[in-house]
Amino acid sequence: MRVAAKAENSRNYSQCDSLLLGDKCGAHTWPYVECGNESSILEHEATTSKISEDQLFYCQQRGIPTEKAIGLIVNGYAKDVLNKLPMEFAVEAQKLLSITLEGSVG
Amino acid sequence: MLLNIKNLHVSIGGKEILKGLNLGVNEGEIHAIMGPNGTGKSTLAAAITGREGYEITEGEIWYKGKNIVGMSPEDRANEGIFLSFQYPVEIPGVSIQNFMRTAVNSKREYQGLPPMSTVDFMKMMKEKQAMVEITEKLQNRFVNVQMAMLEPSLAILDETDSGLDIDALRIVAHGVNQLHNAENAFVVITHYQRLLDYIVPDFVHVMYDGRIVKTGGKNLALELEEKGYEWIKEL
Repeated sequence: MRVAAKAENSRNYSQCDSLLLGDKCGAHTWPYVECGNESSILEHEATTSKISEDQLFYCQQRGIPTEKAIGLIVNGYAKDVLNKLPMEFAVEAQKLLSITLEGSVG
Repeated sequence: MLLNIKNLHVSIGGKEILKGLNLGVNEGEIHAIMGPNGTGKSTLAAAITGREGYEITEGEIWYKGKNIVGMSPEDRANEGIFLSFQYPVEIPGVSIQNFMRTAVNSKREYQGLPPMSTVDFMKMMKEKQAMVEITEKLQNRFVNVQMAMLEPSLAILDETDSGLDIDALRIVAHGVNQLHNAENAFVVITHYQRLLDYIVPDFVHVMYDGRIVKTGGKNLALELEEKGYEWIKEL
């Protein structure tokens, strides 16, 4: 994030949420802020969560196989962002997500 | 017999929790399982539904004529085993409709059927909702809708009452009573007799130290309520 010197009263909020799949991964985020104007307000936030054993078993117990369950959970997680994308892109992003997830378990 | 558990031994992380449990459930029956904390009631539910981390070291779980030990949890679910959880699990961003549709279509896929159309699904959802809700108050619970939609042959309610107030309890019980028929069975795990005022069991089993130590009719629950669990430890 870079705020130029002439950007009077500018405002920024960066959110960086990570969802971990499995126990062999981690997330490292470096929010980068460069502010050239004293009247600006900048905020950043980062969260990390993981798909819980409970969520996964809950889906499986309702007959949803593991891979499909992860797809459902990830799509739910990313829904807020996906909803803001233009239609064509949202469909693409959803497909992309499910392809990336294929074979990510087991 | 719908469910026949023979000499079941289950360990978690090397520690034996179930120590030779036997249980038989026929179609059309309602069984209650009671017992003090830490006697293995929830472990039994986890073992029947195939939850990971519950190691079956000995014994068999026969369901619809098949020994299901080793079968995946989703296959067991699609064969008609349903577990109502102690605390509802949330999946952020996933609507009830979306979740339910995924579940219904997973079952259909398992049965070799094509996915349901949106129109048919919404119609089914509406019908099933109406079936289990307390109509005069329009009260319902998601677990009832799930049971109505998935039509399990064996539904296990694992201390579903512990997180519920009396009104919510009545709604769940109403759903169970609406759905119970001669072809399915319910296993109700509970600490308290209270739930059994609304869901009347044919059999009450008392668990202690990983086994069923006593079986009786619905009056056994009243006896437990009155005397507590101390005396069963002597059995």
